[in-house]
Amino acid sequence: MQLETLNTLNLNYWSIAPEIIASIAGAVIMLVDAFSKRGARRINGAIALAGLILAFISVVFIGRVGQGNYFSGMIVVDSTRIFFGITILIAGMIVILLADQFLRDEGLPPGEFFSLVMFATAGMLLLAGAGDLVTVFLGLEISSITTYVLAGYRRYDLRANESSLKYFLLGSFSTAFLLYGMALTYGATKATNIEKIRLAIEGGQVTYPALLLIGAAMMLVGFGFKIASAPFHLWTPDVYEGAPTIVTGFMSTAPKAAVFAAFLRVFVVGFDVPKEGLGLQLHGTWISAVAILAVITMTVGNLIAISQRNIKRMLAYSSIAHAGYALVGFVTGDYAPVAFYLLAYSLMSIGAFAVIQLLARAGDQRTEIADYAGIGFEVPSLSFPLALFLLSLAGIPPTAGFMSKFYIFKSAWDSSPVLRYLVLVAIINSIISVYYYIYPIVVMFFRPLAPGFVRPRVSASAALALILALAGTLYLGILPNRVMNAMGRGTVGPTEQTQMITK
Amino acid sequence: MNIVTITTFLPLLGAIVLLIYSLIRSGRPYGGSDGHQEHLNNSYRWIALIFTTLTFIASIYIAAGFDNSVAGPQMTQKVSWIAALNANYYVGVDGISLWLVVLTTFLMPISVLASWHIEKRVREYMIFMLVLETGMIGVFVAFDMLLFYLFFEITLIPMYFLIGVWGGERRIYAALKFVIYTVVGSLLMLIAIIAVYLYAGSTFDIVEITSKVAADPNLIPSPLKTWLWLAFALAFCIKVPLFPFHTWLPDAHVEAPTAGSIILAGILLKIGTYGLMRFNLPFFPDVSRNLGSWVMGLALVGIIYGALVAMVQPDIKKLVAYSSVSHLGFVVMGIFSFTDLGMQGALFQMLNHGISTGALFLCVGMIYDRRHTRLISEFGGIATPMPQYSTMFMIICLSSLGLPLLNGFIGEFLILIGTFSSTVPYAKMFAVLGATGVILSAVYLLWMLQRVMFGEVTRRENSELPDMDLREKAALLPLVALAIVMGIAPMLFLRASEKSVNTVRQSVEQKVPRVVEIINR
Repeated sequence: MQLETLNTLNLNYWSIAPEIIASIAGAVIMLVDAFSKRGARRINGAIALAGLILAFISVVFIGRVGQGNYFSGMIVVDSTRIFFGITILIAGMIVILLADQFLRDEGLPPGEFFSLVMFATAGMLLLAGAGDLVTVFLGLEISSITTYVLAGYRRYDLRANESSLKYFLLGSFSTAFLLYGMALTYGATKATNIEKIRLAIEGGQVTYPALLLIGAAMMLVGFGFKIASAPFHLWTPDVYEGAPTIVTGFMSTAPKAAVFAAFLRVFVVGFDVPKEGLGLQLHGTWISAVAILAVITMTVGNLIAISQRNIKRMLAYSSIAHAGYALVGFVTGDYAPVAFYLLAYSLMSIGAFAVIQLLARAGDQRTEIADYAGIGFEVPSLSFPLALFLLSLAGIPPTAGFMSKFYIFKSAWDSSPVLRYLVLVAIINSIISVYYYIYPIVVMFFRPLAPGFVRPRVSASAALALILALAGTLYLGILPNRVMNAMGRGTVGPTEQTQMITK
Repeated sequence: MNIVTITTFLPLLGAIVLLIYSLIRSGRPYGGSDGHQEHLNNSYRWIALIFTTLTFIASIYIAAGFDNSVAGPQMTQKVSWIAALNANYYVGVDGISLWLVVLTTFLMPISVLASWHIEKRVREYMIFMLVLETGMIGVFVAFDMLLFYLFFEITLIPMYFLIGVWGGERRIYAALKFVIYTVVGSLLMLIAIIAVYLYAGSTFDIVEITSKVAADPNLIPSPLKTWLWLAFALAFCIKVPLFPFHTWLPDAHVEAPTAGSIILAGILLKIGTYGLMRFNLPFFPDVSRNLGSWVMGLALVGIIYGALVAMVQPDIKKLVAYSSVSHLGFVVMGIFSFTDLGMQGALFQMLNHGISTGALFLCVGMIYDRRHTRLISEFGGIATPMPQYSTMFMIICLSSLGLPLLNGFIGEFLILIGTFSSTVPYAKMFAVLGATGVILSAVYLLWMLQRVMFGEVTRRENSELPDMDLREKAALLPLVALAIVMGIAPMLFLRASEKSVNTVRQSVEQKVPRVVEIINR
């Protein structure tokens, strides 16, 4: 029965409604921008926001079409897709709300920015819902190429150019790894559909086991690049520092969530067959590889972050470290802690970048931590939210950062005794991280005011974005019940039909 | 509505009221003329004072309605909080937490009075004080581990700001040290909380876990048990602070503003000893017994070391800070005596220390405000210009060094008797050596008193010092009165905690006797 749904077309356009909405909105913005007077920033922003809200609604209700596979198994509808989609769209909305002021301050053309964000979002949503290696690749490319352009959006700025070029070169490199891995996997299993790959491994139909193992390893490297896990993280600091701050905020959250969704689906659905023979070998290999990756990622991210003096670079390393924590959840094979973690991380990280954007002003002039000296009580409406986001990133309650870490640690401790050591490493890392997250707070509140400080102007939409991130961070930290419950009901894994076949 | 919940969140409500008021009145932050600002600052102080006083009144209701014959939590409220994790909003008070809650709410209005003269960022200061109060009450009333952890960490941030923004010269260093020390302990405790939660069958309910452990001592497997005990103990011992984890304390105390020191010594340190009683003893009875003499040994070192270091301090505030290390050593010793007397004494001593040391810091703050120095050598003979102040200061010092008829005596006496009659190995020796701590505390306190108060006025600027004003009296007198009341009628307080302490003590005793254990092997 499952093979039937995988082989028949099963067209249902509602199952890709979010992607369609986002793409149409992106296209409409381009048209509106072409035919309206120069600088129709507001209209473009409104269309983008409306598109994202519609997409958000359609993602929330996408479960109505029924869980399962669509378009010959190209598209999957399940909880992973819903919750990662929500994360991506929230990040997108906050960026759109912030973009208005950013574009005006920088004097950049508004049309392309909004449509690029929309196309990137469409790509990420596709990535989160991909049930086939081909769709994974498609979604990844759509989102990556648009993000390369966004990173270099301030095109007269050398740093942004460097950032964009670096991101493009290393991103392409990693995509090549991923593609090669996909090809080898296809060679071994004669399938690109993730569930079919699983069935092939379960049924012992893998012709060249070595090919499969190499393919999985290649894909691991590719995904590792995209989520900025160490030792594949070297592009991250430069790219994050050079890109416009709101783009950095976007890059560090939404694409990461999308890639994690695909990563989960490929490995936890496709390669997780802990039975005898090849399946067990593959399972053990990738679990330990990801565990090692998690340890290195957390440790490298946190240790290098300590010595950073630029707040964007510091948050770049912090984002590496957070990918490491999420990988700890990944090893448990359950999507819910990872999804919750990335939702929480996206809110606090993009919130922090939003404040940095507002404080840095045009051209990212003030992004050294020293520039923040004494501003604490000068602009309490920005400094206190930033302090809260940093404390949340450090995992101090009552914030989302604490709850999400707690959820990850609890799941990992629960799932197997070996993982307890991983939790210990993660805890030690959290202790280290407190130091560098606290440091900007020290500078902001305990030091005298730095010369050259100008009170930043905060537009209404930027304030709204900030409030959204702040409310989300506190909501998930104090009353996470609803979200956790909703996530806890769904599971990642082969759909019920596939499980029936294997029985 | 539940009275415990009201008491816990009343200060937070006060903080919100204060914030809204300030937003309405000031238009934009720090706008307006100086006179306007001064007027606003006064309103902030009054709002904070009113809400802390209301909280104190609410806590009196708790104490009045408390049933001494019940061992478990009373006046509880249990509401599902995070169903996915089976975490509940579960609050209440029992004999162990009751007086600590009242102590907190009692010291807070005094702390607000003690910070009346603060002119810098009054709004933020008072908001942090109020948030801090909610956190501290929450720690004592939480009967759900996750909720406890939440409140435990919430206390950290306001205190960090209080030291960092309103503190002395080396405040940044002190604030950072305070945070890093606390976080190291609390994050390791988080692992232990997760582990206990999972072994106890996915529950954070402290009462339930305690009874499950009592029913099955091997609920948590053996080598791990010790590690988890250590994780909990580390977090609490840093907070106490037990020697050798005390190094953050002198820095934090010296740099903190007066109210910060009162809260730190009076309440935050008690979170550590409270945690030991609430978590380490009932959750890991056998580990606690096995490691009991080690902890007692460290407590003893703390008693003597703290006293000796206090003796040579040139700075009064540092002297009081080190005396805390010494006094808290007694508390830990009493807890780990596993006798009713010792544990009751420890609990009583926690209250004593809160009151005496709170008052001592208040006194130090008063002369610091006048002279902007705390060096003992800068003073001398100030009993002549400040007779009332000196009398109060002396009573407090006597209470702190354990003079009979004052509160400190009761606590230390009970602890020493309890320790002496304890079955923990080497307990008798620890009790005897610990008793020297009482003598040493008399030495450093009386010597300090003599140098500061008595004799001729040694410096001209001291001869004209004004005595206490009304605000200072209002802050200090209740503390002195309580020190006397507690010294004369200790049963008023001890009776409430009797049952709960007895339960904890029994939970530790319930372990299989050692001989049987050896035979079974």
